[in-house]
Amino acid sequence: MALVISVAVGLLVALARMSKPPLSWLAAVYVNVFRGVPALVSVIWVYFGWSLLLGVSFTVFQAGVIALVLLYGAFIAEIYRAALQAIPRGQREAGLAVGMHPVRVFGQIVLPQATKIAIPNIGSMFIGMVKDTSTFTVIGLLEVVRVTQNLNSTTFQPFVLYTAAAGVYVVAAFVLDFLFRAIEKSLATPPVGPIGRATAGRRTRRIEAVMQRVEAVSGSRGA
Amino acid sequence: MTTNRPAVSATSSDTSEHAVRGDVVVSLEGIRKSFGSTEVLHGVDLTVHAGEHVVVFGPSGSGKSTLLRTINLLEPPTAGSVRVLGIEYGPAASRARRGNPLELRRRVGMVFQQFNLFPHLTALHNVALALRAAKKLGRREAEERAAVALQQVGLLRFASRFPAELSGGQQQRVAIARALSLDPKVMLFDEPTSALDPELVGEVLAAMRRVAESGMTMVIVTHELNFAREIGDYNVFMDEGLIAESGPRGFFDNCTNPRTKQFMAAVL
Repeated sequence: MALVISVAVGLLVALARMSKPPLSWLAAVYVNVFRGVPALVSVIWVYFGWSLLLGVSFTVFQAGVIALVLLYGAFIAEIYRAALQAIPRGQREAGLAVGMHPVRVFGQIVLPQATKIAIPNIGSMFIGMVKDTSTFTVIGLLEVVRVTQNLNSTTFQPFVLYTAAAGVYVVAAFVLDFLFRAIEKSLATPPVGPIGRATAGRRTRRIEAVMQRVEAVSGSRGA
Repeated sequence: MTTNRPAVSATSSDTSEHAVRGDVVVSLEGIRKSFGSTEVLHGVDLTVHAGEHVVVFGPSGSGKSTLLRTINLLEPPTAGSVRVLGIEYGPAASRARRGNPLELRRRVGMVFQQFNLFPHLTALHNVALALRAAKKLGRREAEERAAVALQQVGLLRFASRFPAELSGGQQQRVAIARALSLDPKVMLFDEPTSALDPELVGEVLAAMRRVAESGMTMVIVTHELNFAREIGDYNVFMDEGLIAESGPRGFFDNCTNPRTKQFMAAVL
C-alpha cells in the first residue's frame, strides 16, 4: 500500500518539479530533504512528532505508511522525472498533432512509456521499503527484526538469528524481483513472458477479427 | 522582409500556369518566430489553396520546418496571422478570439521526419487512438476505421505489429495512415523521407503520391527535389528565415534568385 501511494506521490512531485517556479522549488526542497532523512527519523517524526506538535496520533501502521510514503515519494519522484524526460519530444508532438488534448497525450502516450522505463527502479525502491520496515521496531511494529530481538533475548544466539532474519528479507527481495520482472516483461513491446504473451494473444485475435471485417467489406466492393 | 515574395502577390503573374485554384485553406501572414533571442522566421507569408501541393525546400536552418510547424501551432508564432479554413489561430487575434488549437489540429494532418509512432501501441492502435481522441469514436468503430486507413497505405496485414517490428518505410506509411484517418483538410509533411534508408524512400513517396492524386491539399517540406518537381504545384525556396523565391510548376527550371540556383546546383 505504501508503494502505491508513494508512486502516486512521486509522480505528482516529479510533475511539480518539472513545472514552473515556485512549485518546482518546493518539489526540489521536498525531494532533497526526504532523500536525506533516515527511515528511523522519519517514522519517529510521524509517530511521536506529529502527536506532540499537532495532537494528531496515528496507529503504528498508519505512521509506518506515512513515513514510507514521505521517504519513497522523494526517490520515486526522481525516478519518474528521469523517465518522463527520456520520452522524446516527438511523442508529445505526434499526440498533439492528431488533435489529442494535452492531458490525454500525457496519460495515454507519455506516461505509459515513462512507467515502462521507471518500473525496474520502482522495484528496487520496493525492496528498500520492505527493508526499512526493520527500523519501525522503534514505534513498536512487530516485524522480522523485532521478532528476532525478542528471540535473541531468550536464546542468546544473535549470529544465527540475525542471519535467519536476513534470509527472510532476501527471500522477500527475490519474490519482489520476480514479480517486477513479470510486470516489466508484460509491458515490453513486442511483449515477452507468459503474461505479455497471453494479453498479446487476445489483442492479436481482436485485431485479426477487425482485419477480416474490413477485408470482407472492401472485397465485396471489388477493391 | 523585402526579399520575401508573398504567395498572394505571385498569383497575378502565375495564374495561367496554375491548376484551377480552390478556396484558401491555409493563409500565413507576417509570421515571425523567435526562440529566446534568436529570430528564425522574419515575417513569412504563404497561401495554400484547396487541392494545391505546396513544396517548401531550402538549406537546413532556413526555417522551413518551423514554418510548417506554425501551421498546426506545434510552434506558435511570435507574431503574425495563421488562418486555417477561415479561422484565425495566430497572435494576430487576441487570445480570446483565437480558434481552439485542438480543433485546428483535428483538421490538419501532420507527418514527421522521425515518424513519431507510439512505440507502446500496435500499428492499428496508433491509428485508432488518434480516431478515438480526435473523432470521439468508440473502440470498435475506431479500430475498423483504423484498419481501413492501414489498408489504404497497403499495411493492413501488419495491423497487429508494433512499430519496432516494422521497417522505417512501413512506420512512415502507418504515420501517414494515422494522419489521413482523421479526414484532414490539409496534410503537412515535415521531411518525411529524410530519416529513411534510400531503398525505403520510394514506398513512402508512392504513398504520398497516392495522397496527392486523391486531391488532398498538401504542404511538403522535402529535400527530394525530383519528387518536388513532379508534384509541386507551387514551390517555395526558403533561406535564412524568409521566402527567397517562389513559383508555380516549372519553377525548378526557371528560378532566377542566385541563392536558389546555388542550392539546386548543390542538391540535384
